[in-house]
Amino acid sequence: MGRPAAPARNPEPMAFFAVFRTAFLLAVLSWRTCQSEVLPERLPLTPESLHISINSTLQHLHLQWTVHKLPYQELQMIFQIEISRFETSKVIWMGNYSTTVKRNQVLQWSWESELPLECATHFVRMKSTVDDARFPELSFSSNWSPWEEVHAHTPEQNTDLIFPRDKLVEEGSNVTFCYNSGINQNISCYLDRELIHGEQLYLNIFTFKLNNVPFIREGGTNIYCAVNYTIKDGTVLFVSKVLEEPKDFSCETQDFKTLSCSWDPGVDTGLFFDGQPSQHYTLFESFSGKKKFCEHNNQCNWEISRDLQETYNFTLTAENYLRKRSVNTIFNLTHRVHPKAPDSIHFNNVGATNATMTWKMPALGNYSTLLCQIELHDKENMRQEHNVSIKVNGEFLFSELMPDTAYMVCIRCANAKHVWKWSKWVTRTLITAEAAPSKALDVWRKVKPEKGLHHVTLFWKPLSKFHANGKILFYNIVAKDLDKKSELKLQSIPAPANGTELTLDQGSYQIQVTANNSVGASPASEIVISGDSGNEEVEEQKINGTKDGFLISWKPLSEDRAGYVVDWCEHQRNLHCELQWKNVGPNTTSTVISSDAFRPGIRYNFRIYELSTEKIAYLVENKIGYTQELAPSDSPQVKAINVTSHSFTLSWKDYDTEAQRGFIQGYRVCLKSKATQCHLDSVAELLPDNSTCCEHAINNPKQKIFLVENLQPESFYEFFVSSFTSAGKSPIGTFTKVTTQDEHSHMLMHIILPMVLCVLLIAVMCYWKSQWVKEKCYPDIPDPYKSSILSLIKSKESPHLRIMNVKDCTPDTIEVVNKSEGTKTQFIGIEKPLTESEFPKPANLYLLPAQDFCVPGPCISFVNHTYSESACDSGSCAHTPVPDTAPPCHLELLASPDNLLNTLEKTHTDSLGEIPAGKISLNYVSQLASPMSGDKDSLLIHSPVPVLCSEYKMQMAVPSCLDSPVLSENGSLSSMTLLGQDKHYH
Amino acid sequence: MDLRAGDSWGMLACLCTVLWHLPAVPALNRTGDPGPGPSIQKTYDLTRYLEHQLRSLAGTYLNYLGPPFNEPDFNPPRLGAETLPRATVNLEVWRSLNDKLRLTQNYEAYSHLLCYLRGLNRQAATAELRHSLAHFCTSLQGLLGSIAGVMAALGYPLPQPLPGIEPTWAPGPAHSDFLQKMDDFWLLKELQTWLWRSAKDFNRLKKKMQPPAAAVTLHLEAHGF
Repeated sequence: MGRPAAPARNPEPMAFFAVFRTAFLLAVLSWRTCQSEVLPERLPLTPESLHISINSTLQHLHLQWTVHKLPYQELQMIFQIEISRFETSKVIWMGNYSTTVKRNQVLQWSWESELPLECATHFVRMKSTVDDARFPELSFSSNWSPWEEVHAHTPEQNTDLIFPRDKLVEEGSNVTFCYNSGINQNISCYLDRELIHGEQLYLNIFTFKLNNVPFIREGGTNIYCAVNYTIKDGTVLFVSKVLEEPKDFSCETQDFKTLSCSWDPGVDTGLFFDGQPSQHYTLFESFSGKKKFCEHNNQCNWEISRDLQETYNFTLTAENYLRKRSVNTIFNLTHRVHPKAPDSIHFNNVGATNATMTWKMPALGNYSTLLCQIELHDKENMRQEHNVSIKVNGEFLFSELMPDTAYMVCIRCANAKHVWKWSKWVTRTLITAEAAPSKALDVWRKVKPEKGLHHVTLFWKPLSKFHANGKILFYNIVAKDLDKKSELKLQSIPAPANGTELTLDQGSYQIQVTANNSVGASPASEIVISGDSGNEEVEEQKINGTKDGFLISWKPLSEDRAGYVVDWCEHQRNLHCELQWKNVGPNTTSTVISSDAFRPGIRYNFRIYELSTEKIAYLVENKIGYTQELAPSDSPQVKAINVTSHSFTLSWKDYDTEAQRGFIQGYRVCLKSKATQCHLDSVAELLPDNSTCCEHAINNPKQKIFLVENLQPESFYEFFVSSFTSAGKSPIGTFTKVTTQDEHSHMLMHIILPMVLCVLLIAVMCYWKSQWVKEKCYPDIPDPYKSSILSLIKSKESPHLRIMNVKDCTPDTIEVVNKSEGTKTQFIGIEKPLTESEFPKPANLYLLPAQDFCVPGPCISFVNHTYSESACDSGSCAHTPVPDTAPPCHLELLASPDNLLNTLEKTHTDSLGEIPAGKISLNYVSQLASPMSGDKDSLLIHSPVPVLCSEYKMQMAVPSCLDSPVLSENGSLSSMTLLGQDKHYH
Repeated sequence: MDLRAGDSWGMLACLCTVLWHLPAVPALNRTGDPGPGPSIQKTYDLTRYLEHQLRSLAGTYLNYLGPPFNEPDFNPPRLGAETLPRATVNLEVWRSLNDKLRLTQNYEAYSHLLCYLRGLNRQAATAELRHSLAHFCTSLQGLLGSIAGVMAALGYPLPQPLPGIEPTWAPGPAHSDFLQKMDDFWLLKELQTWLWRSAKDFNRLKKKMQPPAAAVTLHLEAHGF
């Protein structure tokens, strides 16, 4: 692409000379034209002395030439230029260059080659044409100048293969590379790692083009050629980012000595590898004509002359190897004043409500008036804003400040005539002094009378910071006995505290509470406790609340009142009440109590007090309510009582309706039975488990008993009682089961019970009279007169037999042996062996002493002395001493010798063994009965017994323990004799 | 091995003999001047540290040069790097070097390499790279001082700077940035080779400067007693 070089200008010729020369030139040209038809002679105005130079960096061909024999001082001419590559015939570019040519002027023109000039020999020629309207007769073309050949100079022609060398382009440019393969046919060239496929341009010259090249790295992109993987040559393509125009260019002064100009340079285009710095910046001021190279890329300082030049016109030029960009600004110096931040800021005479601030403005001197902006902020908002004009030193008085408050004071300044930029804000903290609290405490009380005393709990709300005017250090409580007119300073309570407790007698007391800080006390807050305080009783009234709170209204007690107080507990169910109160004016009889602490399902109790002018509080009304009622959380515990065959009664007591989540409006009794239909006074209700129950409604919350009637006898029922509020019923729980009674069961009871009683009575009577009955019916000693055997004997054998009356006998000896009451029948029916201690001691006639009996049991002998006397007289029944080794007593009926022998053997064997059960029996052996029994065997056994005693033998009862008949030394069995071990008595 | 009663007496006698001669073993009886050993050890340690430091620096710098310079098997012709001092040397020649020559070669090599490296630092494009190079130059200067210390301790004079090669000398710019990159590549490579060689040099010197260790070998032959 051609680029015209600026032609040199010559002085203007004189008009006369020009006219003459034109005429002469025309004549010459006419002659020359005629001659040229004959001789191929060079035409006039042909470019001559063509000289071509090469700028390898810019890839420019620079052409210089002249036009000799210019007929006029200047002519408008067109030069037609042809450029060939490798050979003159290979024209690669043709173009015209139009310019005004002056006489003896050296013309210049440049052409930029796309291909690196080192890769090819270039040829250039040109011809001219006069294109001047003033001289139409000269409009012909000259001859072509001869071809001029040009070679690019390379430092080491033999080694360099690839061009251009280390080219620097902008991002997005197109770059053409060429390489000379020379004799190496297997040369390969690469771009970084990628193989390049070049296009053959001429013989061994190859070329390739990179379009829209990106920035890759500061170190550049490597293009290199290798033969057999050996690098022969390489070059680096440096891609620079495009230089940007500086943005936000402005200048300002802080001290009227230096102008500080700043701008945003944009991206850095620096590529250091080739020693190329990033873009540099130049500042030029047109009025003064001064220029300054800036050291930094984004700011530059300009010295202000002492004469204080008023207006400045700056041009900022950014420049790098490839591009130059400029921006301009023009301004008045006084309009570019940017003051430094104020300093030396101090607060003087700081009081509770005012303070003085002083400050200084540095470096501006008295050149301009400054406007300072002062802002006073507390923690939340800006409270004051002031504008103050100053020269150098500033002073400002703050007033209407709050005591003991931290303020933030901000100040900044600007040139008062033209605000260019404000200085930076400077912030300082101002803390005002404390003052006495300005407001009385809001005090309330809770009175609890007990045992003739008043337990007073005082509450107060802490003063707001606005009223506290400082840090509250303590609270003073002073109580005055209004009856005794005495004053008693009770307590000084350190802060933070919001209440205290007092114990007073039942007199009237005036209590004053003050809050104190380091400066003083607040106005006193008064409250009077009268003797009746705490004893008031008023009826509770239900109110309906909303989520926004409770609307409470009341009727005044008296005309003369100071106001009302409504108090309530914030957390009603908790032990910790957190008493809240609200003061209401004397002319108001309603208020809305709202609190974030109110929760649905919590019962709140509001007490409205009327404050008399004497500050005595009288309870006016007591209201309870919920912000939102909820269904009860639990159901009453119910018992079924009085269960009959057709009814039962449900009863629930102590159901805490106060703790419920709404006002209990009644109960629902749900009864499940096998009956498919409900009674008329109930309705069928579907339960969650898809079963149904008959629901009876109780709409009286005080009713806590319910009679379930009309039931079937001996039937199974289930019931559940739930309470309900306006929000719903309590949840269904476990059903209680009841079974009604049988219809006839009470009749059975009427019969069976008397019968049982009668039987018992009889049994008791029998037991009580058993002795008597026994004696009557089954005596131990049979009455011969009542014995049936007598009648049997009489009837069978001897009708003459009769019973001997004992009264007819004269006893000779009566011996009482250790009489014991109640033992006569002890052995009857005893089936268990008795221990020694259990044996009673017999007390009968001729009863042998128990202690002499054989061990383990005593032997009891009933002796009929009526018969034994004769026997003893005969001596045949003399008692034989029984050895110690004698077997234990065994009483048994000795019926046969075999029995006897067996008994003897067994007795001997079982001498120390137990007495078999069942063998214990009391046998009566009547001597009369023995010989008369007709049992020969028995008689045979008893045959050795002396006949002397044969008529009557001793009638005896032998205890079972004496199972061993005593044998005499002569081996005869005399009789059943009860013997002691060593002794025996007669 | 069959030990008899007589053998035990023999072993005891041998042990007593060894203990008797232990005070005469030089390695166990050093109380005087430590000699150049510690400074050689420090130089060796510094060499190893520089090896580690160069590994990190070379990675960053070769990436900055771009492909093919950061490819592992890249081995360009030396071209302009011929003036760099070569670390590679024939093994026999290296073994035959005396201490003075060995140390002198190290000193001269690092003097030259340091000059090249400072030139490299001036060309680096990024501040991070310049910082790393400056740090490494400081360490290399330390190594040069350390070698000079060893030479002084051994009584060797420092080599005189060659005419035209001043401490501030730097190689002239190559006529192509690509060739310059190849020179930089070779500079780093040669530096790495020199550090390897120096480690071996100082290790050899270290062993040489240490007095022979007490090598007592007891050859017990039971039958011999």
